[in-house]
Amino acid sequence: MGSVIDLQARQKSEETSNETTDMALDVRTSGEDLTGWDRSKIVDALMRETGLDQRISDEISIEVEEVIKQAKIKCITAPLIRELVDSKLIERGLEETRKKHTRLGVPIYDVDQLILHPNKENANVPHGPEATNLTLAEGIKKEYALLRVFSPEIGDAHMRGDIHLHDLGFIDRPYCSGQSLEYIKKFGLSLPNSLSIAKPAKQPEVLLAHMVKMAAALQSHFAGAIGWDAVNLFFAPYLEGRSDKEVRQLAQMMIYEFSQQAVARGGQAIFTDINLYWEVPKHFENVPAIGPGGKFTGRTYGDYEKEAQRFVWFLFDIYKEGDGTGRPFFFPKPLVHITEKFFKTEGHQEFLEHICDIASEKGTTYFVFDRGDTAKISECCRLSFKLNDNDLNDAKEPWRMRFCALQNCTVNLPRLAYKNTDDEEAMFSSLTDLIELAAKAHLEKKDFIEQLLALGENGPLALLTMKTDGQPYIRMHRASYLIGMVGLNEMVKACTGQELNESKRALKFGLKVISHMNLECQRLSEKHGMHFVLEQTPAESTSYRFARLDLRDFGEQARKYVRGTIHSGEIYYTNSTCLPVSSNENPIERVQSEGLFHPIIEAGSLTHIWLGESKPSKESLANFVIKTFRETLNDQIAFSPEFTNCLQCGRTVRGMLDACPHCGSQEVDGITRITGYFTKVSSWNKGKIAELKERNKNQGFFARTQTGSV
Amino acid sequence: MPTIKIFTKQECPRCPQAKQLGTEIMQDGCSVLSYDVETVDGLAEATFFSVQATPTIIVEDADENVVADFRGQVPTREELLQIINAK
Repeated sequence: MGSVIDLQARQKSEETSNETTDMALDVRTSGEDLTGWDRSKIVDALMRETGLDQRISDEISIEVEEVIKQAKIKCITAPLIRELVDSKLIERGLEETRKKHTRLGVPIYDVDQLILHPNKENANVPHGPEATNLTLAEGIKKEYALLRVFSPEIGDAHMRGDIHLHDLGFIDRPYCSGQSLEYIKKFGLSLPNSLSIAKPAKQPEVLLAHMVKMAAALQSHFAGAIGWDAVNLFFAPYLEGRSDKEVRQLAQMMIYEFSQQAVARGGQAIFTDINLYWEVPKHFENVPAIGPGGKFTGRTYGDYEKEAQRFVWFLFDIYKEGDGTGRPFFFPKPLVHITEKFFKTEGHQEFLEHICDIASEKGTTYFVFDRGDTAKISECCRLSFKLNDNDLNDAKEPWRMRFCALQNCTVNLPRLAYKNTDDEEAMFSSLTDLIELAAKAHLEKKDFIEQLLALGENGPLALLTMKTDGQPYIRMHRASYLIGMVGLNEMVKACTGQELNESKRALKFGLKVISHMNLECQRLSEKHGMHFVLEQTPAESTSYRFARLDLRDFGEQARKYVRGTIHSGEIYYTNSTCLPVSSNENPIERVQSEGLFHPIIEAGSLTHIWLGESKPSKESLANFVIKTFRETLNDQIAFSPEFTNCLQCGRTVRGMLDACPHCGSQEVDGITRITGYFTKVSSWNKGKIAELKERNKNQGFFARTQTGSV
Repeated sequence: MPTIKIFTKQECPRCPQAKQLGTEIMQDGCSVLSYDVETVDGLAEATFFSVQATPTIIVEDADENVVADFRGQVPTREELLQIINAK
């Protein structure tokens, strides 16, 4: 690619002038050595990397040599020489040549800051040497993406903040993925470049070990979450004959294995979701079950309901206990699917109250609603892959069920309102333009990933090209391309004068915006033969970024609509299509109103119910969940309590407190849910801190029944 | 006076029947609004009323409260008029 200069290792071309000034100058090269000055290396690099002709290359090298000579310095770095060359290219108006010759890197001040201070763009990245590596690599890959992968039009739109391209630092990977345990059950663990190959597991503990390693391998090949389908069901054939004690132990191992993985990529825990069912989902009922050794057991999954139920019950027993200090487990996120069949399955009410008990106690449970014939696999903060007829056909051989979203591109909605004041038609036209731009960004990322995949087993994405079951592991023809939105509420307020929750007119205007986006996605899907779908963007940093950029570039208007506190810089836009977090409607109204949007946001939505210190009874939460399923179209809900963890005595208590009620220490950290997962508040960015301060915690709705130690 | 909202789309076997009913009751002096759910305005309105199937017919009173709905089905003219006249 030639994007990094290496003056030492390059052979001087025969055509290049070999006249060079004999300067007493050391050059610190990127090959970690000191070498003498050799002007011809500038010429070589210019000709090889940019195609510039020899005459101009020679002239530039002489000019640069003169600058260095005048400076009377004894030592110079190769990167500085490159910058000097680039400045000469600019002087000559050779901007395209400069872009090809440019260098990606990080100022030393920034490296100091990164090493000394935590990254707050993603609360799931702890602070440490691995995290620093990740952040540095991400920084360079972001620059690379904006220069080499995306066209200037897309790169500029991202830089301006019209759109946000997520995970640019992981440009050489797809975004998120949905997995099936059946793959490793059937084929064992045989990964490209691995030092050993494991046959299919014969014991559940080994299957778990394979699952964890596969998740780590996938984390290295995807930017975001790794979701696993029907985990309790697919483990079930391995659990027959095992005692309750053994199954409980396995549940504990699974949760600790995934919650303590903050030793992998960049020190990040693997963002893991486990999809769980009380019933045997209809599409797996008659599917031949795979058991120990990767062999078919001769029975179908419909026969394993009791074992699957035993396992999922124990999983939630462990979630209820929390970790060694009583804190909620952040990962793996348990996503329980609530379906029509759920309510027809024996023991469902007891199980519902069991998981609601954990939802109240720890907030851990996610309730995913699959109404009618809908079936899906969920993951990430709210992403879901709805199963179509092809997918349901694949369900007969579940190891084929591998899903991915290739990229997420989010549209800055409030800015559209600022740019098209009092002209609704122009605003919708601009929205169409932005969605087309997002689609173009997806096409460009797709092209780039396909180039990498084409390198096959010798390429960087070898794992995703392995064809163990006859198809590449990543099934590009089934990939989704996500288009998200941030700040619908603020856009609606700028257009109608009211927030989404303040009038039927405002709510209907919001629905019109999302309907427009939905139909544009359909149109572009047909046009390009790709699956463009709307997703509620988690927007952990995007809502903060858009608000900051709009305040800078559209100050007069943005000042009226950004949320938070402008003078402290703690500002944000409301996430996706959500109602403002501070609005005072009760949780049922919120679930209903936000749920109206969910059917037209095909790739996933979530409503948060902030609990604060409240600890509702399991019966009242179960009733709430049933009502949500029966009386709304809401896609997914989660209840979010708050905790304080004392860094001195280690205890965890309910509520967000300034000091530990046990030892009095003020060295405490809050814990609650950020966009779609639990984490420590100290790792949040300013925008999310502002949101946290404004959250309506529904204290009046859910009776405060208990506080104190968890 | 109630408003009748009729939600239809192009490829829908029973939608012509719903449209025909709309035409008839409009001739009876009723206020009828038709929405194609494959257009932005139609989809937005359908989403507001949680319309999941076409055709859907919703009867709103003067205060925009839903007083009756027929989802995925078409009532008879008499049934619909009875509801309208009861308001």
